[in-house]
Amino acid sequence: MDKFIYLILSLRWQDIIDISLVSYILFRFYILFRGTNAFRVLIGMTILWFFQQIAVSMGLIVTSWVVQGVVTLGAFIIIVIFRNEIRTVLLARNLKSIFWGGPSKTVSSTIEIIVQSILDMARRNCGALIVLPGKEDLEEVIQKGIPWEGEISKEMILSIFWPDNPVHDGATIIQGDHIAQVSAILPLSRRDDLPSYYGTRHRAALGLAEATDALIIAVSEERGDVVAAQDSQLKVIKQKRRLGQILQQHMGVAAKKSRESIKERLMVIAAALFSIIFVTGVWFSVSKGFDTLATLEIPVVYMNRDPAMEIIRTSDNTVSLELEGSGALIKSINPDQIQVKLDLSKSKVGPNSFTITRESISLPPGIILKGLTPPVVDVDLDVLIKKELPVQIDWVGKLPDHFVLTEATIKPKKVEIIGGKRMLKKMSTIYTEKVPLNNLEDKGTITANLALNPASLKTASDSNEKVTITYATKLRDQETK
Amino acid sequence: MNHRMLRLLLLAVIPGFLFPFSVKSQSGDTTESKISTAKIVLVQAVMCEDLLERIPQNPTTIFSIERRKAICFTSFDPVSEKTIIYHQWFHRDQTSAKIKLTLKSPRWSTYSSIQFRAEDIGPWRVEISDSQGHILDVLRFSITE
Repeated sequence: MDKFIYLILSLRWQDIIDISLVSYILFRFYILFRGTNAFRVLIGMTILWFFQQIAVSMGLIVTSWVVQGVVTLGAFIIIVIFRNEIRTVLLARNLKSIFWGGPSKTVSSTIEIIVQSILDMARRNCGALIVLPGKEDLEEVIQKGIPWEGEISKEMILSIFWPDNPVHDGATIIQGDHIAQVSAILPLSRRDDLPSYYGTRHRAALGLAEATDALIIAVSEERGDVVAAQDSQLKVIKQKRRLGQILQQHMGVAAKKSRESIKERLMVIAAALFSIIFVTGVWFSVSKGFDTLATLEIPVVYMNRDPAMEIIRTSDNTVSLELEGSGALIKSINPDQIQVKLDLSKSKVGPNSFTITRESISLPPGIILKGLTPPVVDVDLDVLIKKELPVQIDWVGKLPDHFVLTEATIKPKKVEIIGGKRMLKKMSTIYTEKVPLNNLEDKGTITANLALNPASLKTASDSNEKVTITYATKLRDQETK
Repeated sequence: MNHRMLRLLLLAVIPGFLFPFSVKSQSGDTTESKISTAKIVLVQAVMCEDLLERIPQNPTTIFSIERRKAICFTSFDPVSEKTIIYHQWFHRDQTSAKIKLTLKSPRWSTYSSIQFRAEDIGPWRVEISDSQGHILDVLRFSITE
């Protein structure tokens, strides 16, 4: 418990932002992609990843390899196979909806489609008869029509009742969100108290309403009015809102919608909570897991050197950093992420000593510096000058005993070298790199690089780093050994 | 004085040759050679393996360490009066020995030599300078395996 409290208290404000940001990204990812195939595959991949981690921890080498391969390939497969789906999700939303808000419904509900279709047909004086069954079975009451089994849409309903359509006569039966039958024959009401302007369509509507608990909507071809028949009664509907209410009441949508809405909200809240808990868990396991020590050799970067000066010698080019952090973080450290920088802006010509402080070292978040070696670095600086130096060949190897090298000329004989003043003051010759004697012929020409040692030396821009050696050998006059 | 200097001084011999030499210098720095001072003119400076009847044998710039020694031979003509010169031997840029040699009128040849040790392998040079320290010539050579 104390450890948990310590962990909570040790959280920095950056850590809170870190967790919040990643949690929100995960949550938005769920909101944007839920219901898509890509999301389902992604869930599968996540489960596989957990499986692989378990396999690794249990030492199942081949299993972990195989699963790792599948997961690695899976990432590419998701992007390639579901690229259109991903693009659709992202393109269908504006930038605001990607970062905020719930998914917008692009398809109207069944009731909205029915209401809009009925009102549209009423406006056009297009006769229609729509049956929305209740709980009772209609099989015994109606004369079966033509099976349709089409997904409901406004265009579909309008085309069914279009006067030139062969199936426009009779009733269309809508079950759920699809059209089950068209051109169905309903029983006619025998009541004689109906107004004379109600025709066969209205009698059929009332007839079915008398026999069952179905809701029947009739649109008058002559007057364009809308009548709802239910429970042996005919009701003239003049308002769109009223029509919608009757339909919702009949289909029990209001309660269903409310339940769905609550369920939907609970799902979103659950997803949000899961995102926070998951990311917090991952964050703690990564950044506050069991402490691990590691020692890394990091090169020292010398900065802000006066351009007129040159580093002649350094006591150390690398420092050994002793780092502490969670095992995962330590394992994931790339040496490029760590830098040891020494500021030479206040250095002077000659030997300088720099203490490596914590400020000189940049570390990835979550990594703590426990120690470093050496704590002090000596840097020898010098002013750059040019000096012309004669070139000398640095022969190595051995000539055959009976040969003697009679001539060896170098071109150019002198080169201009740039380097530290104190260094060049001591130098009176620049040597070539080692030139082997073993392969020399009677005479010939070879090229050799200058040995610019120390590395801070360089040739002036108009001097070449290569020299040409022309040589000649001859047989020894006599043995003098 | 360290052992190396002592050894070189012991090895330095100053014989006088009263005839000019026809062999050209093997110096790598011709611009520094044949510089006349007020009293002497250097006419020949050469590194050689040996001297035979006062003539440099096998002038070269490569000396196998198995041959044990290298000789720096110099010849002056004229020499207006008795004077001194120096043969200063450098292994890389470190002075190994500075040998004082006497010249006599009217012309004079002289030499110094060095005996090799295993650690002497590498590039060498001999600076020939007059009594005022003016460099008359620089001879460059290598001691190899």
